[in-house]
Amino acid sequence: MELPESALAGLQSLAHPARLPHKTFQLLLEAAFHNLLHPQADGTALDHAELGSLDPTLLKQSYAAITTCILEAGKQNADKSTLSTLLEECRFGSERIDTFCTEYQKNKGKVEALLGSIGRYPSHITDVSWRLEYHIRNNHLHKVNQPSYLLTLKAENGEARSAEDVTFSCSMEQLQDLLGKLKDAAKSMEKASQM
Amino acid sequence: MLLVLADEHRRHLSFLSATTAAVVSEFCRIAVEFLKKGSNPKIYEGAARKLSVSAETVQHGVEGLMYLLTESSKLMISQVDFQDSVLVLGFPEELNKLLLQLYLDNRQEIRSILNELTPDLPHYHNLEWRLDVQLASRALRQQIKPVLTLKLHLEQNGCASASVLQTDPATLLHLIQELEQALGEMKSNHCRRIVRNIK
Repeated sequence: MELPESALAGLQSLAHPARLPHKTFQLLLEAAFHNLLHPQADGTALDHAELGSLDPTLLKQSYAAITTCILEAGKQNADKSTLSTLLEECRFGSERIDTFCTEYQKNKGKVEALLGSIGRYPSHITDVSWRLEYHIRNNHLHKVNQPSYLLTLKAENGEARSAEDVTFSCSMEQLQDLLGKLKDAAKSMEKASQM
Repeated sequence: MLLVLADEHRRHLSFLSATTAAVVSEFCRIAVEFLKKGSNPKIYEGAARKLSVSAETVQHGVEGLMYLLTESSKLMISQVDFQDSVLVLGFPEELNKLLLQLYLDNRQEIRSILNELTPDLPHYHNLEWRLDVQLASRALRQQIKPVLTLKLHLEQNGCASASVLQTDPATLLHLIQELEQALGEMKSNHCRRIVRNIK
């Protein structure tokens, strides 16, 4: 796991028990995880009184370093020993390494989910809604008497592009065709999962 | 249900009883062809010269037949009702039989042509799918994420379009379950009762 110079320097400044009491370190670490995993909170976790008394440059530098470290570890799927080695090299004491690693393990899944959601992908179907109608007649044709389905595939996309639901109609035969193909796909998926 | 023929319509068709059976069957052929492929006014002039009547008379005759055929096909009237409906035209028996045969032979095709005119929503045409496992991305390495990519082909008024979508295994199973229920609904007592009563 490699980190940029600035992040390493920031981590090193966090290692000093004299410059940064352990309680403050812990607060800062929790704030970093909280802000990453709750982007809608808009960084309010940093408003803690105790963090406010810190030198703003030190606060910024170390906050950026922790965040970089967490994201890089998550991205590389780093395990506890990789992370400990890195922190040791930044002259962290064993207590702080333990605190960091515990907090990381606790949030690892969420960090991965966050990182996994970044990127471009086709609209992702999340649900389907349907409506069944019986077409009786129209102005051109009487006695049509055919069932017809209206389907809406609900889709969502990353923050970048707005989701577009897909709505279409289909006859009973067409719905059977669609369903048959989806079942084929599900079967293949099941087979693939057993490999 | 009988077809009600307007006076003007009857007047237009009355020209046919004055001609021979061969001419009438030719008119029928033209009327059906126009319904399938669109009208071609040039034919009126040629026929009018041969029969030494005005082109307008010929046009009215053909259009009268076309209207007769589309209206009866639209309402899907029965054989008996069709016969009774054309009775008011006062045509010879032979001509009535000819019209009935024309109606029966072309009814389904005319209905499918009329069906194309009905207001059309985008409708299902085909579905293609592909199964992938996402292994890594710029933001996250070492993933195992099964993804089903779907290409849904739709059609509207003869125009094809396609959307590319994706989904995950759990949602796929949910979709299947939901759509099975949708299909099954048509067999429910409620739906069967309604369908039985709509004639």
